[in-house]
Amino acid sequence: MDENKLKADALVVGGGIAGMQSALDLADQGYQVILVEKEPSIGGKMIMLSKVFPTLDCASCITTPKMSAVANNKNIRILSYSEIQSIQKNGSGFIANVLKKPRFVVEETCTGCRLCEYACPVDIPNPFDLNIGAIRAVRVPFSTAVPQIAVLDMDNCILCGKCARACPVDSIDFLQTEKEVEIEVDTLIIATGFETTPIDAKKEYGNGKLHNVIDGLIMERLLAPTGPYARVIRPGDGKEPESIAYVQCAGSRDETLGVPYCSRICCMYAIKQAMLIAGSLPMADITIYYMDIRTFGKGYEQFYQNAQAMGIEFVKGKVAKISEDENQNPVVRVELIDENSQIIERTHDMIVLSVGMIPKYNPSQVYGVNVDEFGFVKSPTPNLSSTKTNQPGIFATGASTGPMDIVDSINSASAAASSAASYLESVRNGK
Amino acid sequence: MSTRVDPSLLQEIKKYGEIHVEDCFNCGNCTAVCPLSNSNTPFPRNNIRMLQLGMKDKLLESIDPWLCYYCGECTITCPRQADPAEAQMTMRRWLTAQYDWTGLSKKLYTSTAWSIGALIIGALIVILLALGLHGPLVTNQVELNTFADVHMMHTADLILAALLGFFLLSNLFRMYLFTFPRGAQNPPPLSIFITEAWQLVLHMLTQKRFGECEDNKRWINHLILVFGYGTMFVLIVLFLSWFQTDELYPIYHPQRLIGYVAALAIIYGSGDALIGRITKKHQMHRYSQISDWLFPILLILLAISGLMISAFRVSGLPILTYYTYVGHLVVMMMLYICIGPMGKWAHLLYRPFAVYFQAVKEKAEEHNKAIAHAPAPVS
Repeated sequence: MDENKLKADALVVGGGIAGMQSALDLADQGYQVILVEKEPSIGGKMIMLSKVFPTLDCASCITTPKMSAVANNKNIRILSYSEIQSIQKNGSGFIANVLKKPRFVVEETCTGCRLCEYACPVDIPNPFDLNIGAIRAVRVPFSTAVPQIAVLDMDNCILCGKCARACPVDSIDFLQTEKEVEIEVDTLIIATGFETTPIDAKKEYGNGKLHNVIDGLIMERLLAPTGPYARVIRPGDGKEPESIAYVQCAGSRDETLGVPYCSRICCMYAIKQAMLIAGSLPMADITIYYMDIRTFGKGYEQFYQNAQAMGIEFVKGKVAKISEDENQNPVVRVELIDENSQIIERTHDMIVLSVGMIPKYNPSQVYGVNVDEFGFVKSPTPNLSSTKTNQPGIFATGASTGPMDIVDSINSASAAASSAASYLESVRNGK
Repeated sequence: MSTRVDPSLLQEIKKYGEIHVEDCFNCGNCTAVCPLSNSNTPFPRNNIRMLQLGMKDKLLESIDPWLCYYCGECTITCPRQADPAEAQMTMRRWLTAQYDWTGLSKKLYTSTAWSIGALIIGALIVILLALGLHGPLVTNQVELNTFADVHMMHTADLILAALLGFFLLSNLFRMYLFTFPRGAQNPPPLSIFITEAWQLVLHMLTQKRFGECEDNKRWINHLILVFGYGTMFVLIVLFLSWFQTDELYPIYHPQRLIGYVAALAIIYGSGDALIGRITKKHQMHRYSQISDWLFPILLILLAISGLMISAFRVSGLPILTYYTYVGHLVVMMMLYICIGPMGKWAHLLYRPFAVYFQAVKEKAEEHNKAIAHAPAPVS
């Protein structure tokens, strides 16, 4: 079959935990699935995390087997480093035009041996570590990446040719160009996920310019065993922090940021990270400044109470300002709501902003699906079938439909797969 | 201590301004972001909470709204966009109406018809008095003191000042009664009121707290306005016989120079406020009630008509001088009736007294603590 024209039953857009789960559920029922991922590897946000709440399971220990399962499923084909350009209706199905970006590495022959990576003289900020660690300009994106194929960053490449000489299978191709692929499918699942609210959005929190103020996702990388330093140090000067504070609702429930909704995950990830820090830095004081603690899921309230019992300090009050003292220590200013409205300024070694969730991608133009005022995909019947969109045959799942944690994303992904499967059957059986 | 709750409080206060404090979820951002708020006087969240709950007595006792100078930081950063700064402004209007025992203040703040009525009455009083009491209209040269006898005018000024003082001070006394409610435990001793009195003078003259807001340009402009207004007030109430004269002095003579400088200061200060309200650039100027418009408009008209009297007098235009003089008095009467001791004008005492009362409260608390911790007398 022509490599530029593919045909399958279902197309899943986005290879995060939701997209992977949808693809697996459909594939396990015998449907042919194509999974399109924008990044060089599937895995999404979850593979970046340290551990997951409320079980404190290691995130990569759960995600990596899922990624392998996707890669090794005979019914799933992964198109990584690819983006959907347009979608046309084709009877009851769709034709998707996909742009495959050049990796400058021949996918068919690369074995993932990393000799190119070891030979490359160029260090660049590592996007997988949110630019706090370094990585080579040509590299396998991260150790458990799927597919295990190198990618070359042409913007930073100095064209020295060392990688090409090092490659044992001659897979480096500096002349590779982008490729268009046409995919014919009967149904489509949007699983484009989320982004965190930008750390520099709030002037009162230093516009992202304070040295030792980071966001929750960077803290995940600091805590992850695969992280850049394999330990928690503050980015400003590498000092081991003795006092760490979390600022809740730093990117949610705030009209001034255009994010009035609750992002649902921040309370839980802050509590989880606080527990993990208590493990890796037992002497550190950990404070969580919050407006309300929202522990809505199964086992979450107990998780919160455990954190309190561990000695993590919870302070009710919205941090109004963060400044910096002469030693680059961040200083918070906050009204203590429960304690006589005292206004205090407290210095910490490091601050983590519990940033919220915003949609990563607005699918309304390309897919013609309705989105809500914040850009999340809107279901016409949110209480009856939350993964349906206003376009028959197009389903949406995970954080593309609204703020969602991993547990809910996986449920939503299975729901989307189930809806897509029944759509496929109804179309084929003539309704 | 029990607190009586008045469920209609919020609806009542909504008549005084465009507020929507129901949106507030009490996160405390406003209080912590405010450059003037501190642990002794944490506002505006506390006041907003009182509003939400209907704690009328607590709100009456609170002088915190007067300690806010509307820099707008709280409103800009409020996560719920509940507009705490405008809520403070609205509470100031409501408090002014509560302090006023005549009940006129409430009518003037909440009804446009009453405001317009007050303006008309002010104008009528002056016009009728002028018709009845004016002297001969000398037309071959400007003789203002023949048209309006300076001694009679001075007496009228003193009567007006006494009336203003009476209403203002009696309202101020009610502010004192609300702030230090009867029956409270350990009221501050008189000695503290005396030793803290310097605060009153300092803040009345400098409006220093205003300067602690983030943008102190507004404070400077307000100071200029206060300087101009204060100078004119003193000149007219105490030195009218020197100020209102038919003798033409050269321009550098104090009688003319002081008048011109003060008038220009008023035009600059109130013009700045007016432009602000028209362009709505600053948070403070986004919502304007009728009283917010009338105060700067009447002030600027007062200064302009004053300058015009002088110009006509110098140019030797008798009839125009006399008519403008009456117009000047009309504007003045409108100002004092509509926004005088029952309105926005009264802030000239409420604000410094609020700072003073707060200082007294804090000192009294220290004093009480010292008594509580004093060693028992040896028997």
